[in-house]
Amino acid sequence: MYVWHFHCLFICCFNMLLVNLNWKDYGSAGRMDTNDSLRLASLWHSMHAISQQLSPTTGCNGIDLLRADTFDLHCFQSLTGTKFFVICEPSAPYMELLLKVIYELYTDYVLKNPFYEMEMPIRCELFDLNLSQVVQKDRVALLAR
Amino acid sequence: MQFFSGSTSTESSLLPAAPPGTGAGGPGNNAHMLYIFNRAGVCLLYREWNRPLRTLDPQQDHKLMFGLLFSLRSFTAKIDPTTAEKGNLGVPLLPGQGCSFYSFKTNTYQLNFMETPSGIKLILITHSRTGDQREALKYIYNLYVEYVVKNPLYVPGTPIQYVHSAFLNYYSVLKRVLLLIVSDN
Repeated sequence: MYVWHFHCLFICCFNMLLVNLNWKDYGSAGRMDTNDSLRLASLWHSMHAISQQLSPTTGCNGIDLLRADTFDLHCFQSLTGTKFFVICEPSAPYMELLLKVIYELYTDYVLKNPFYEMEMPIRCELFDLNLSQVVQKDRVALLAR
Repeated sequence: MQFFSGSTSTESSLLPAAPPGTGAGGPGNNAHMLYIFNRAGVCLLYREWNRPLRTLDPQQDHKLMFGLLFSLRSFTAKIDPTTAEKGNLGVPLLPGQGCSFYSFKTNTYQLNFMETPSGIKLILITHSRTGDQREALKYIYNLYVEYVVKNPLYVPGTPIQYVHSAFLNYYSVLKRVLLLIVSDN
């Protein structure tokens, strides 16, 4: 049975000058503190924007997939500019699907939560719960959704 | 003796053997642009074959590209989940230090990157759905070594000029090989 796992998930929400970052670590060797992750997320946001400028044709939406030696990074950008990106093993399958599912969870459990303040760190229990469930499921179960 | 051994080995012949699997297709339009930078950020070569949109003038474009790669390398070295201790963000990295990315993809293009230990960065921008271009980049690097570095009239660190007749060889070979390689995907 093929078991995949991914390393960590970042949710960056950028709205003009405000940076809101949430990240979840699912077992990576490199631990990061808040400052570092904030720096990295800002860096990612800038590079996402620069990559749109360097496109040889029109209609570029920024980086979707970054492949490195030891990991892959998949990014999903919603229509409002919120970026979800996940660090995973090289060529792990169904990451785009996973990102869309996480986006659904985000809209259901975070944005529809009346106690959640916009642009604040996410402290919604149901969101965390469902998120851990989604990432622990077998990929077959994910496919069957 | 080549640095990159493998499928792209050159014998003493003038034209290096193309990687297996090429030569089948007709003229391909998969490659958009090629950049070669040296360690200091000087753009040694810039070739474009298909670029409908240009947002900046060439100097700004080169600087932006180099800056993007520099930042992306720092980013990937720092965000790498498999190594425990990493340097600080923003510290200039040596070639080969830390985890490096080799490709990124957007909906309109794919950027393939290779950095050699001497700091030469090769960037090939292709159509979004081409496969892994690492072999192609190694091959282009071999061409660079054979025809540019080994040319006694070439001054290292300066842009590759279309001046001497020896360079004609390089450009015609490069163009032909790129069309063959990239159209194969």
